[in-house]
Amino acid sequence: MASSFLLSCRGLSAAADETPILHDVDLEVPAGEVHVLMGPNGAGKSTLGHVLMGDPAYSVTSGSVEFDGADITELSPDKRSRAGLFLSFQAPVEIPGVPLRSFLRAMVEGRGQKMKNKEFRKKIKELAQTLDMDPAYLDRELGVGFSGGEKKKVEMLQLLLLEPKLAILDETDSGLDVDALSVVSRGMELYREQCDGTLLIITHNTRILEHLNVDCVHVMVSGRLVAAGPSGLIDEIDAQGFERFELDNSAE
Amino acid sequence: MKTKQTLIERAAAMPATTWHFLNMNDVRIEIPEDLAIAPKVRVFEPWASHGSRDEFENALADAQEAWELEHPEPTAEEQRARAELLEAEADATYGGTAQSNYQVQADAIEEARSLSVAFEHGMGDEVAAYLRYAAEDRVVISAGPGEKVNAQVLVSSVQGGVSVAAIDVVADEGSDVELSVVVDSEQDAAANAGADRASQGLVGTTVRVFADKDARVRVERTQALQEGFTDIDDMGLFAGDRARIDVRQAVLGGSCAYAGLAGDLRGSSSRIEVETRYLGRAEQVRDFNYSLRHHGAKTRCNLQANGVLADKSKKTLRGTIDLVRGCKGAEGSENETVLLVDEGVHNKTVPVILCNEDDVAGNHGATIGHIRDEQLFYLACRGLAQDAAERMFASAIVEQAALDAGSAAAREAVVRLGERMSPGFAELFEGADDDR
Amino acid sequence: MAENTIIVTTSGKKRTQVADVDRGMYDFRYEDADAEKLEAGLTPEIVREISERKGEPAWMLEHRLKSLEIYNSIEMSDWGPSIDGLDMDNIVTYVKPNTDQKSDWDSVPDNIKDTFDRLGIPEAERSYLAGVGAQYDSELVYHSMQESAAKMGIVYSGIEEALHGDYADLIQSKFMTLIPPTDHKFAALHGAVWSGGSFVYVPKGVRLDYPLQSYFRLNAKGAGQFEHTLIIVEDDADLHFIEGCSAPKYNVANLHAGAVELFVGKRAHLRYSTIENWSKNMYNLNTKRCRCDEEGQIEWISGSFGSHVGYLYPMSILAGRKAQASFTGITFAGSGQNLDTGCKVVLGAPETSASVETKGISKDGGIQTFRSSVVATPAAKGSRCSVSCQSLMLDDRSRSDTIPAMDIRCKNVDIGHEATIGRIGDDKVFYLMSRGIGEEEARTMIVNGFAEPISKELPLEYAVEMNNLIKLEMEGAIG
Repeated sequence: MASSFLLSCRGLSAAADETPILHDVDLEVPAGEVHVLMGPNGAGKSTLGHVLMGDPAYSVTSGSVEFDGADITELSPDKRSRAGLFLSFQAPVEIPGVPLRSFLRAMVEGRGQKMKNKEFRKKIKELAQTLDMDPAYLDRELGVGFSGGEKKKVEMLQLLLLEPKLAILDETDSGLDVDALSVVSRGMELYREQCDGTLLIITHNTRILEHLNVDCVHVMVSGRLVAAGPSGLIDEIDAQGFERFELDNSAE
Repeated sequence: MKTKQTLIERAAAMPATTWHFLNMNDVRIEIPEDLAIAPKVRVFEPWASHGSRDEFENALADAQEAWELEHPEPTAEEQRARAELLEAEADATYGGTAQSNYQVQADAIEEARSLSVAFEHGMGDEVAAYLRYAAEDRVVISAGPGEKVNAQVLVSSVQGGVSVAAIDVVADEGSDVELSVVVDSEQDAAANAGADRASQGLVGTTVRVFADKDARVRVERTQALQEGFTDIDDMGLFAGDRARIDVRQAVLGGSCAYAGLAGDLRGSSSRIEVETRYLGRAEQVRDFNYSLRHHGAKTRCNLQANGVLADKSKKTLRGTIDLVRGCKGAEGSENETVLLVDEGVHNKTVPVILCNEDDVAGNHGATIGHIRDEQLFYLACRGLAQDAAERMFASAIVEQAALDAGSAAAREAVVRLGERMSPGFAELFEGADDDR
Repeated sequence: MAENTIIVTTSGKKRTQVADVDRGMYDFRYEDADAEKLEAGLTPEIVREISERKGEPAWMLEHRLKSLEIYNSIEMSDWGPSIDGLDMDNIVTYVKPNTDQKSDWDSVPDNIKDTFDRLGIPEAERSYLAGVGAQYDSELVYHSMQESAAKMGIVYSGIEEALHGDYADLIQSKFMTLIPPTDHKFAALHGAVWSGGSFVYVPKGVRLDYPLQSYFRLNAKGAGQFEHTLIIVEDDADLHFIEGCSAPKYNVANLHAGAVELFVGKRAHLRYSTIENWSKNMYNLNTKRCRCDEEGQIEWISGSFGSHVGYLYPMSILAGRKAQASFTGITFAGSGQNLDTGCKVVLGAPETSASVETKGISKDGGIQTFRSSVVATPAAKGSRCSVSCQSLMLDDRSRSDTIPAMDIRCKNVDIGHEATIGRIGDDKVFYLMSRGIGEEEARTMIVNGFAEPISKELPLEYAVEMNNLIKLEMEGAIG
């Protein structure tokens, strides 16, 4: 029976170079909701994001991932992307030699979308303006010499261009400056507004969540999901940190 | 039927050679003999910058005088002392150090104490002489002291012909010259399907640059020929004190493209920067030879080559940085990145550093292979599988060339080539400026 | 029997002393009055005579004559250091010492035993080697292996002796197949006049914990040494082999054109360490090659310090899936030396990998060239190779060239290359001096530090020796 959730993973365990990182993770995200994944540094939150996207650096040792009614555990990342899954990178890679415009075009073409170049040009220019991004960046080599905030803008622009069914935003890095932070917030808002998107936000920076109605908060400690609850959990964590969950975990 | 060929063996040879089995030391160029000499060259430059025919030779001769003043010949006493030292060394070391042919030749060049002997063409003297002969005339762009000159030379391919431009740039003290060379097939020159590809024609340029003290010269050469044409790009550069020469090359079209660049960093604190971008598709051949000689103190050079090889294309890059004795404080670096996107490609690289001076820094790096893992994953996350990512890198070479083009003519040429490669290209890039 | 005379070189002034003293321990020599020499030069008659004296099988004589023909028909390469100082008509290709091969040092004639004693070979054998072969001029004078190793089925003997033994057919099937006489002029010469050298056979699955060592000493004036080393390490076996060489200094050219052919089986491992310390009148044109089968590993450790002219590029042919090669080398060229060294790698099968790390030092007008070739064939899918090469110039009279070639015919490969060249940083010297260290010592420390990543890979007693070499070479380098 197909699950009623947009994303669900069951008993998911994963390892990097034979070192286990994720243990028996069960996670369900219904369509249209906003979920937050929190946890202390090194808990495996980013790893979960990467594993959900199919990063070959990790191997799934048990369990499965279902997305939009299909088992995607064995799917390559490009196929997951085309199936409607999106992962924004904490630190987007630089790709010298490839103008941002060319990259965006290849991305759209890869999805088999028929769009005239003229139309496409207009669209990305509009998106850039919505995100308060200088269109000159479209002609620069992807990521090369971009500031942290500019890189984030590029990630959000891709989010809005692709309009995925589920976006996993990996914002673990608490070092985001104010600029980058507001870019991400704006991107998330637009994504929710324009395509009624579903979000899984990985963070331990609660400021990023201020303007969002969070449906569920998951807490990860040492590669396990140890708690889940309504948005109130965020305030609790803000006040008390993760210590309580860590103790719970070690008591097991 | 095979037509008769003029052969130039050992063109664009690298100074210090290596194993012959590698077939990398030089290149063999075939020129069909039935091609007519038919230069189709248009020059756009301010009238005032038009120089006299032997301006370059005169400038070099003047530089020779100045150089000799600064570098007086060793006195008889010094020469004798040196000979004695060498003799003593030879006695103590079993006849002295055995040198290779290159090392002997390098010493001979220095001992000649002549700037014109040391001045080299990247394609070698034989090719340069052929190109000068084929060019019929010479374009001389000259900038007086402190002047600013902006010039363009457009060389168009000629079906069944040899279309070559010979260009001298003479930049006086403190002047600023920008030269854009576009090597291109005109729009109406329809592809001659079914014809013997190699015999379609030859297009070429031979450029000599003399940059005097504090001069700044930028040369941009964009090659966007149609399939079937052979391109030869020959350059020889001379940089005086604190002069700076920037060369940017885009090798995008044609069938066989040969590029040779030699530079003499003679003046102290002079600098030469070379940036090359190339694309190899189908059965295209690309051959590059760079040779930069540091003579002056605190000179700098930097070679950057980035390319993508697809289908059954072949590429060879010989890059030599020579840190000649006396170039105290010089720094030379070269870096190459080659992306191989198909099984049939063939890439050869030999990044050479020759060093005869201790107070220097030389380094080179080469990265040859596929897209880096983290880039590949990032692109996959955006829906691009490996082959799609590779195609993107290949077309990005042309797109980036269109965006970086320093002149409208260069951009148009690239866009035309892009349009031939993938219809719709023009719409994506032509008006990129309007967006700003 | 004639009285043997030791001639030890001594010298006066400090500056010239540097060059002499550093090889002082090698620079004694015995008159070769007792030795049998063949006429200098190279003719089919000489080749026949060498073969006859050795009582070789007919195929070997044929091989020699064919090689001589090739030698006469091909040109010397034009890219390397000049060998004009080498007059082939005056090189004695065969010098037989006044003894047969022995298996205990006491039976070796005193002058020869004394030579190896001074070089520390018997002592090394006692302390950490599983077996030793010692060649003096054209023939092996000593060969011995511990009983325990023999019991494991390991064969370590003179190659000529082995040509008549149980492995004769195996040798015939491998001999000069990795280095065919057509490869280059001195490979052809080797094929014609080779003499002496070792044969090692390590059976399947056998792992020898202690190294075997062969030491080559060329004593005769104006002679050539052409030993052939053939090592077969069968599947899953493991061996460490050490090669050392030296010669006293003469005022005429000596030639070394040995050949080393190594066959590494599936999942087998071979470490081949060499310290080359020929005297500075030596033309060292040695050829070394290894073929690795699936998951086989070859590790080259190479130190080049001696010779007037050196051409040395150990080659790794990775012929089986996941085969691996590593090359670690250091070259130190001083006054009057032109050492052209490096390596060759062929990535000839899927998922092979190779790494090359070299250091080069040149001083006092010496020339040091790093030359390499990395070829990835269309079969090399998934292979990797990284080359890293650093050169240090100790003065502005010397030369350091780097000529690395890469020929890549396969898409899914990772080929990386990096090289740097420079001198001892003044800031480093200043730093050390500010801590109370004298300038000369500071420079020596920095050079040793530069060489350290390589020297630590060398067999222990050689590493000590190398540090001493550097120290001695550096002495008097200032002022």
